[in-house]
Amino acid sequence: MSNQQLNVIARAPFELYFEGQAQVVSAVNKIGKFDILPGHTDFFSLINPCDVVIETDNEQISIPTTNGIVTVRDDQVMLFLNL
Amino acid sequence: MRRANAIQKDQTEIETVEDLTGVFESLASTQVAKIKTKVELSKEFFDLIWSKYSLIRVDPKSRITQRIRQDNGKNVFVVISAEAGLSGDIDQRLIETVLKDYDPKTTDLIVLGSHGAQQLMQRGIRYTHYFRVPETDSYVDVSPVIKAIEPYKETKIYYEEYLSLGTQGIKKMDLIQTIHTMSDSTNDPDDVIAETDTVFEPSLEEIADSMEQAMMTLAFSQAILESSLAQDASRFNAMAVAKKRAMELVNFYKLEFHQSKRSESDRRMREVMISLKRKKRARNNV
Repeated sequence: MSNQQLNVIARAPFELYFEGQAQVVSAVNKIGKFDILPGHTDFFSLINPCDVVIETDNEQISIPTTNGIVTVRDDQVMLFLNL
Repeated sequence: MRRANAIQKDQTEIETVEDLTGVFESLASTQVAKIKTKVELSKEFFDLIWSKYSLIRVDPKSRITQRIRQDNGKNVFVVISAEAGLSGDIDQRLIETVLKDYDPKTTDLIVLGSHGAQQLMQRGIRYTHYFRVPETDSYVDVSPVIKAIEPYKETKIYYEEYLSLGTQGIKKMDLIQTIHTMSDSTNDPDDVIAETDTVFEPSLEEIADSMEQAMMTLAFSQAILESSLAQDASRFNAMAVAKKRAMELVNFYKLEFHQSKRSESDRRMREVMISLKRKKRARNNV
């Protein structure tokens, strides 16, 4: 297994849900369910209503989401949720 | 002089008022701390989303301006007042500031908060829309207001501004101008996210639309939060003044109560002395 990790920030306008390293981020967009792993191609997407899941070494965080935007660039993942 | 038990009754009532104002003061103080944190978080959020948005557009500022301005030939003032009273004279100052700039021939009014609407009605001023102030404890839903301002060429928002716990002012902002100002810290112009090296789902256009909507909403929500912060601070001050006044009254009643008690005791003493003198006189006459 790769030691590479994603640097993830997940927040809503008035709330910081998560900031730190993770192995996988999963969510749902118009096309379907997607997973972001280290090394993912640069990506910009709208998020459909779903539970966004962030998996770290120790835990799995689930964030109920009505809408949102995700950006991935050089293993930096930004989740703007519940806009 | 009033009777001691009547004074004691008044004192008890004022002590209840003092307790109540103390509770309101404490609630307002807690609310101020909570909203301040929210304001800071929303500013950080705006900066982050703008930093991403500016990477996908060459000239995002002009795009937002075009999107908002539909132009029905009129301007609109959005007045954010309080939903409830007990916050001193801050709403009155807000309405006075609005009316200095207001011209009914060129401008429509949209009011948030029953207190402001009431003050406008008392002055015989008509408004085109009224909305309740969205709850700031949870999600701030400003979409009905955003929809209402769409037809106007210019939108100015009048709201109460938190300067410090002791001082609150009235602020007006041009919505579009504010978005420009908030986005002053732009990225490196060479750092652009393009469709050639990035996957956009569903499309760049839809993502840009969604981000613009989010930023508009955020700018509005921040004004509502700021206003709520100022109202809570003003309420805190009004309650602190009321509590101080209640304490002064309690002290006054305590003094009056003791004076009355002493007076009653002096009167009884006088009656006893007179009675003793009478008895002595009667004995001497026998």
